[in-house]
Amino acid sequence: MTTAGSLSSELRDLYTTESARIREDFAATGNGRAAISQRTALVEKIAHHLWKEVICPEEQGPQRFALVALGGFGRSWLFPHSDIDLLFLHADHETEEASKDQVRGFSQGLWDLRLKVSPATRVLSECDRFDPANVEFAISLLDCRYLAGDRDLFTRLHDKVIPKLMIRETQPLVQRLADVTRKRYEKFGNTIFHLEPDVKDTPGGLRDCNVALWLSLLSSMEKLHDWPDPKSLLSSSARKQFEPALDFLMSVRCFLHLRYGRDDNMLSWEAQEEAAKRGIGVYDAHELAPADWMRIYFSHARSVHRTATQLLEEIPAAWSSLSRHFHNLRARVSDADFSVVDGLVFLRQASVLQDPEVLLRLFHFVAHHDVRLGTTTEYKIEQVLPSLAATPPRGAELWLYLGEILAQPHAAQALRAMHSLRLLTLLLPELKAIDSLVVRDFYHRFTVDEHSFLAIESLHRLQQSHSEWEKQYAGILDELEQPELLYLSLLLHDTGKGVQSENHVEGSLLIAEQCLERLDLESSERDTVLFLIGNHLEMSAALRRDIFDSPTVAAFADKVGTPERLKMLCLFTYADIKAVNPDALTPWKAENVWQLYIAAANQLNRNVDQRLHPGADLDDEKIARLRALAPVAGKKVKAFLEGFPQRYLRTYAVNEVLHHLEMAESLGKQPIQLDLKRGRHWFELTLVTNDRPFLFGRVAGTLAAWGMNIVKANAFSNQAGTVVDTFYFTDRFRTLELNLSEWERFKRGISDVLTGEADLERMLKSRMQAEEKKATPRVKIKTSIEFDNLCSSNSTLVQVVAQDRPGLLYTVASCFAHHKCNIEIALIDTEGQMAIDVFYLSADRKKLAGDHLKQVETALREALQSGLPHGITSTVKPLNH
Amino acid sequence: MTKVEAIIQVSKLESVKNSLHEIGIEGMTVLEARGHGRQKGHTEFYRGREYTVDLIPKIKLELVVAEPMVEKVVQAISAAARTGKIGDGKIFLSRIDEIIRIRNDERGEDAL
Repeated sequence: MTTAGSLSSELRDLYTTESARIREDFAATGNGRAAISQRTALVEKIAHHLWKEVICPEEQGPQRFALVALGGFGRSWLFPHSDIDLLFLHADHETEEASKDQVRGFSQGLWDLRLKVSPATRVLSECDRFDPANVEFAISLLDCRYLAGDRDLFTRLHDKVIPKLMIRETQPLVQRLADVTRKRYEKFGNTIFHLEPDVKDTPGGLRDCNVALWLSLLSSMEKLHDWPDPKSLLSSSARKQFEPALDFLMSVRCFLHLRYGRDDNMLSWEAQEEAAKRGIGVYDAHELAPADWMRIYFSHARSVHRTATQLLEEIPAAWSSLSRHFHNLRARVSDADFSVVDGLVFLRQASVLQDPEVLLRLFHFVAHHDVRLGTTTEYKIEQVLPSLAATPPRGAELWLYLGEILAQPHAAQALRAMHSLRLLTLLLPELKAIDSLVVRDFYHRFTVDEHSFLAIESLHRLQQSHSEWEKQYAGILDELEQPELLYLSLLLHDTGKGVQSENHVEGSLLIAEQCLERLDLESSERDTVLFLIGNHLEMSAALRRDIFDSPTVAAFADKVGTPERLKMLCLFTYADIKAVNPDALTPWKAENVWQLYIAAANQLNRNVDQRLHPGADLDDEKIARLRALAPVAGKKVKAFLEGFPQRYLRTYAVNEVLHHLEMAESLGKQPIQLDLKRGRHWFELTLVTNDRPFLFGRVAGTLAAWGMNIVKANAFSNQAGTVVDTFYFTDRFRTLELNLSEWERFKRGISDVLTGEADLERMLKSRMQAEEKKATPRVKIKTSIEFDNLCSSNSTLVQVVAQDRPGLLYTVASCFAHHKCNIEIALIDTEGQMAIDVFYLSADRKKLAGDHLKQVETALREALQSGLPHGITSTVKPLNH
Repeated sequence: MTKVEAIIQVSKLESVKNSLHEIGIEGMTVLEARGHGRQKGHTEFYRGREYTVDLIPKIKLELVVAEPMVEKVVQAISAAARTGKIGDGKIFLSRIDEIIRIRNDERGEDAL
């Protein structure tokens, strides 16, 4: 027998020499699987030496005591600096007690070699017991492997105890595994796309490989009541992608361990550079650019993650009774083409996917219902992709579906699913340049594509937010007329990072232009998307200046132009910062963004009555475009625009202004021009006519009498007295929605009220009687009236904030008309049950003043109080006059 | 050694950083801060609600320098951060007993 000292030195030499050889072999071949198998064999050899010296001279002795490899060692996956999990297995407590010193000596021998050993001691009967507090031990038994000692004892563990335990406890084991995995995913932001991933723990890493294999093993054991054939663990299609991914990840983790000299699995920038240079894990080990090498990493991580998450979703035992109940509720969302089982979508008929429309509808379904694609559904989608690639959907048809998908609450989930199947880049090839793209940046944590999805997701999540400041952002998101344009901008805003260009914003604009052209967006929609992309850093830049400085706010507001764009840019900035990394949007930044938003919003709303003089405003881009579009009507355009407030041009797109001009030219034939359209969220009524007293109030009253709820309104007039009023309303009783024939009667009704042929008072009275029966509002809004004579040079600003109710706008506007106030501009808005109405009033083309102002103020207060439900108080706050 | 803590306007961060780089200062810690001195808050009305900002966003810079550099650093910060208006901020100086670089246990000015 060797002495302890000489054995230790002999084993140390063996370990040092063999470890050096493994390192050299890996340097030459880059083969991770070979390296971990060699290290497993080396540690095994050392364990055998020690066993013979310390425990029993016979490798298969003594009786009733065995040495078992667990975890990674049991799987024969010992990476250069992995822990070594060992089980000292005893038949009973007597042998356990008798061999305590030997076990200590054995472990000491390994520790002396500086091997990190995690030993566990159990008697056989203890291995049959399930300990909910130590599920990890039960899981580690799934990888057990005989090393030395009593082979019969090990066979009893392997063939009887473990299958019995696993079959009996499948459900809690799977549940626990699923819980731990989901927690780990959350820690990494539920994405594989980290710029510096941990190849073991990040979703899609080696830990997911284990999870997939364990889940599959547990599921098979439950069915077979025995150990399954290891080759049957994953389906052949999953294995086709899983095995190369596993090879790659093994090589990368070996490389990292050898590079750092410790169990460090972080794929840092520097490590990426070196791995790419050496072609680690790549066939024939050729040198690659770091970004291209990382794309290979992400494609493998994606396969692993997909396999693991599919198994987590599909193994029914993985669901707790609560989530199962929840998912079964979702089954009710199934429709003629798609069925939902346990939160997974399946196709009722595979052939339906031949129709691209059905394919797009499937992702709309995912985005709407928070469900995932079943494995067979994904497989069928993959099968139709080649034929779809020959004639991909494009133009307005594609945008119709894409816009709808983007606006759904789980859009990011649908986009990720489309991206993972390569469908997204097939539909929007512009995104190829940022597919799994790593851009080195100290602040960004995710790849460029994932950053864009996260930005979209963070906006949708605002709807469920409980924090006060997030609710403010959620409020303006709700008010957007075309939120899909904001989401599309977010999807495209960083595409420029994937191409060579001086600055990525310019690059993104060029790419987005091509994309918008292909999607056939209307010109005003294109303008909005390009504006948001082109200016997506403007708000962040303004935050670096003094946001309480009026000229800074004015310059920013001027650049943004309209309140709608300001809302979009504010939300864009919020989402863009939030998607950089989980800590990027500090409360400090969020509050500063909001402060800048409200300062700019006030700037835009209170400096809107400056009059247009097209002759002088030559530098206005919109006027130039109007002239370019209507060169023949040049003089008419000029005359029409003369005297409109600046806000008019900021509110309407060029084509809308030209349409107003056409309507104004027809006033000779028909003195009241009305245009009714149905928009995405509401109806839009445009009125062009010559100004007259009570005009705005009468239209508002007629709409109220028809049961329409006015959500927004704009009122403008030019120097010639032509009025352009637009009312945006919802059709509470679906009168117009269900009866096309009512459209004409509705428009005629408005004309009749304006010409005095219909009795508005009578119409309103019957409506109010019907409304009185309605319940009192759930949220009570305190009425606030603010007069401001300082913010405008020509008008008095009146802001009314009050409980929204039918006829409110009519009440306010009539009060002004009765007191001979001319509404120069009206900006009507609704936020939930709060009406926020801003009016610019004049009397004889001057501001309101003196007694007249006081009379208007008193009358308005009385009018609002008399119309308010019982119990709501009113305050009148005279300001600055 | 002296610790220099400067509260400055957010808009002045870039110019202060540039000025410090020009005199050879490379390392500093930048913190997002809120507060006010004699410069009081600011009120905005938005949709009938009053938004009062009584703690104004500021930037706090922290750096530790060797004695010969202290006056140069103070002057660089003052010159770059000054607008002459209320709210320009303040600079605080305090003695530092020891510095230890965690990576290699270097101490004193070597660790700066």
